Amino acid sequence: MNEIFYKLTVSHFLILAAVVFAIGTVGVLMRRNALIVMMSIELMLNAANLTILAFARYHGGAAGLEGHALAFIVIAVAAAEAAVGLAIVVAVFRTRRHADIDRLTLLKH
Amino acid sequence: MRPLALTVFLALVLAAPLAAAQPAPAQDPHAGHQHGPIADQHEQPGAGPAAAHAAEGEGKGFENGRGAALLFWVLALATVAGSIFVVTRRNLVAAVMGMVGTFFALAALYAMLYAHFLAVIQVLVYAGAIMVLFVFVVMILNRPEDEPWALQGLLGKALAGVAILYLLVRVSGVLWDVKDSPHAVVAAPRPQAIDTTSVGVLENPIQSAQRDDDWGSTRSVGKALFRDYLFPFEAVSLVLLVAVVGGIALSRPHREAEDNNE
Repeated sequence: MNEIFYKLTVSHFLILAAVVFAIGTVGVLMRRNALIVMMSIELMLNAANLTILAFARYHGGAAGLEGHALAFIVIAVAAAEAAVGLAIVVAVFRTRRHADIDRLTLLKH
Repeated sequence: MRPLALTVFLALVLAAPLAAAQPAPAQDPHAGHQHGPIADQHEQPGAGPAAAHAAEGEGKGFENGRGAALLFWVLALATVAGSIFVVTRRNLVAAVMGMVGTFFALAALYAMLYAHFLAVIQVLVYAGAIMVLFVFVVMILNRPEDEPWALQGLLGKALAGVAILYLLVRVSGVLWDVKDSPHAVVAAPRPQAIDTTSVGVLENPIQSAQRDDDWGSTRSVGKALFRDYLFPFEAVSLVLLVAVVGGIALSRPHREAEDNNE
């Protein structure tokens, strides 16, 4: 039982990724500031990347390197998402003087 | 708020040299598979403590030993604490700084998984570019808010002083080693043959024979990226182009959007 503390397996990384993903989910659901929500989304993407890389390390070989390529593409898409999302936040703030997502209810009605 | 950001910087400073020191245990390429924890948890439950004792006695300083495990726990703690810090902050600048620290710890974790190239990309793209973008947006729409709780005054300054002192000590230690032997801080080649019964994540059970020494390096990832994944790579370049155009189009002021206030 004690060996989970000093014997690393793939489960350690997967559980850590799950915890980080859960924290990011909590941030997306609980916070009202749009920037914090976007940072929580980045956290969730990073948790997914950590999962990909842990499995790539576990599998190894050429298939593992394909996992690295996938993680690279995830990072690039996250950069694009951050650019577009921040532009949306700036546009919303410019027209409404706040970035509170609970008050952005224009599409609700 | 500023001492709290410095506290996060402490975590960052702690994570970075530990990550730099991580490949150092791999200097003895043959110690890895001899003394490693090779017991399968599910198939041989009785062999666990014996292997653990072997790792405790002789396995110090190799890559799946206690040093790597301690490093993992430190980095995991930094990642989780940084994530909670980001989610709970009211102050946006403090949240962004916590995010940078979290990304550094995650990059160190990627390096622990032999994803060296992606660790560098993580630091450059996430901790560098994306977080600078966030800081710019925070600068545009920052309104000062109250902090729920923060380390104020002397404690934050003391933590920052300890962090800077630690950074200086570690950097000077690395430079001292470089003067002695130029290869001391460079990662040794990976172990070639690994016991196939191993289930440790830092030792590969499946395809250890045909794996290169530079698995996860820029060269091997580049090979995968530009041979098999060339089309997704080019598609991502198109996605980035569309994102740039979309970002400009969205953030440009529109005249007709001015009268659209709920």
